Amino acid sequence: MSQTAAQRFLQDAALKSADLVHREIIQRGMDSYDSAHLKGRARIKDWEAARQKCQEIKREAVNHLDRYLLQFEEKVISRGGHVFWAANAEEACTYVKNLATRLGVRTVVKSKSMVTEEIHLSPALEKAGIKVWETDLGEFIVQLRDEPPYHIVTPAMHLNRGQIAKLFREKLDPGIESDDPVDLMAAARRILRQAFFAAEMGISGANFLVADAGVVAISTNEGNGRLCTSVPRIHVVVTGIEKIIPRLEDLAVLWPVLATSGTGQGITTYSTLIGGPRQPGEVDGPEEFHVVLVDNGRSQLLADAEQREVLHCIRCGACLNICPVFRHVGGHTYGTTYPGPIGSVLTPHLAGIKEFKHLSYASSLCGACSSVCPVKIDLAHHLLQNRRNATAARATKSSERLMFRAWRYAMLHPRMYALGGWSMRKALRMIYSLGLAGSILDPMRVWNRHRSPVPLPSESFRARWRKSRGAN
Amino acid sequence: MVQTSEAQTEKPQTEHSSRDRILQRIRAGLCTVVPEPAAAGSDRVIVGPTINEPVIFEPVVDPLERFQQECVGNLMECALTADSAASAQQLSKVLQSLPEGETFVQDDPLLRLLIDLAAPERPIRWSSQGAPGEASQATVTLAEALIAQTGSILVTASCGGRGASVIAPCHIVYATLAQLVPDLATALSRVSQQRKLDRNSFACVISGSSRTADIEKILVQGAHGPRRLVVILQTGT
Repeated sequence: MSQTAAQRFLQDAALKSADLVHREIIQRGMDSYDSAHLKGRARIKDWEAARQKCQEIKREAVNHLDRYLLQFEEKVISRGGHVFWAANAEEACTYVKNLATRLGVRTVVKSKSMVTEEIHLSPALEKAGIKVWETDLGEFIVQLRDEPPYHIVTPAMHLNRGQIAKLFREKLDPGIESDDPVDLMAAARRILRQAFFAAEMGISGANFLVADAGVVAISTNEGNGRLCTSVPRIHVVVTGIEKIIPRLEDLAVLWPVLATSGTGQGITTYSTLIGGPRQPGEVDGPEEFHVVLVDNGRSQLLADAEQREVLHCIRCGACLNICPVFRHVGGHTYGTTYPGPIGSVLTPHLAGIKEFKHLSYASSLCGACSSVCPVKIDLAHHLLQNRRNATAARATKSSERLMFRAWRYAMLHPRMYALGGWSMRKALRMIYSLGLAGSILDPMRVWNRHRSPVPLPSESFRARWRKSRGAN
Repeated sequence: MVQTSEAQTEKPQTEHSSRDRILQRIRAGLCTVVPEPAAAGSDRVIVGPTINEPVIFEPVVDPLERFQQECVGNLMECALTADSAASAQQLSKVLQSLPEGETFVQDDPLLRLLIDLAAPERPIRWSSQGAPGEASQATVTLAEALIAQTGSILVTASCGGRGASVIAPCHIVYATLAQLVPDLATALSRVSQQRKLDRNSFACVISGSSRTADIEKILVQGAHGPRRLVVILQTGT
């Protein structure tokens, strides 16, 4: 209905954090990530120096974005590739859709790409009658469930093997008996293998765009990204302009750091570089190669002196994994393409501060996200800045503003403050004694609805302070 | 280059619709000055290798030993052989363990020799005859380099093409000790120096067989690509 994003968030968060099956699956997944991540970090001699280096690389790239993008573009064109600059989601989708229609594409195989989720590319292609296969196992699973990815690295981490086996039986083959992950992968492989060899177009994202070499870097473990970019006759890369890095050698630290932060691996199994269509003398590869550089609000972030560094993000998912809020409410609750701390910081910029300001409060400001970010984005402080910006932009409710004005007045007038405290204690005592704690009349309803009320003190802090001072 | 005949009619180009607008916005945004954050170790110089730059990765002391260790961690097979006869024997052993079917081989004099020596009793498709078939059981290729730090092989389009390392369920790589480099940084800077990406539309650092952990974070080997990655590493001539 006309529920706002904030209301939906609160409702879904309450439901998800009470869902014990969900909680167990996430706990197990995160435990296994935690141990792999720690082991991976131990393999790097100086983790802090690695973060520092990655931050420097990304800062250099983002601070000279125009220059590096042009360098990248020139190289790609020199190999016979095409580069399209899309200002927004619509331009990007239209370009890919028109390309597919013009070249007679009926089937598309996709490897994982959050930017294509952000711009809703698959629905746009499906609408034009083109069949789209997600080929990353996790993405394939959520596509069968008609759901967005739950997590930016592990899209189906909210499901257990039993749920996935049931889904496969319903949607793919009623003969699938086992719920062993090996058999489930084999079933998906059988079906997707046909798709790879039938598809005319492969769509991938990019983890990095390397300016000096003019290549896109794509990291995948399953090899689906490899097949998407090798077998079909057209390869389209859809990616954000901020993915640029200056030099090929930068990958010597970025690849291990991305893999460590993403999954705890030393390096992703297939760390691929692609710079164009099949060249003369090459055995195989697509005849056409297109790179769609998506802006979609990113260039505005450049002008934000405080938050430009948000564009350094390499989408490793580490801040999601460590976030106590994400671990309880889960990825779908955010209702955004990018969940977790990075999503809470980024979404208000991409989709509007008014509708998504509540995400800045979906944080305990514990700073865990800032501490793990491999490119050292200070996420916790950016959440605070978004809170401030929302208030400054008057995106808050008038009742909230009124309350804060009253609070401010009381803080500046000690007598008023004392009076307020006294009357609140009286009122609460009365409400609790009538058994109305947690009811609509209770000002502490948000807390008391699901918890027993905190015992009320008999006197104010000020009174106790005076007494103890007097006793000394 | 690729579309030689159509090059006149449909020249690869940048579509200009929003390009200038985006570049303008980027340049306008970059006019905003962002103060450099005080680095944690303020003695560090900002960009580029300097004497002050800390060592991020433990230097690789014994590349061969490290490569073998990492191969185990990456679930790859690495067989050391003394000479080409031993390599051929190893190749033939691996091929015999596979189900019947075509073997795709990069068309290179070295591999022609190796296949002659191994004399496998199975159909061979050379890369000069086209891309590997969907039903290939194995591919045999060379590599550009082996990387000790991560237990990886570096291939480019010259190593039998893009599909060679991903279509068949078993990928066999024939390499020599001279190709082993200590770390990723060395491998990548050689790619840059030798301008390998100017001549190849594709390169890949492969560190193990294809895998997934998308279901309950449980590792499954053999996702969409090979279940087996075998490196035949020849230490002598």
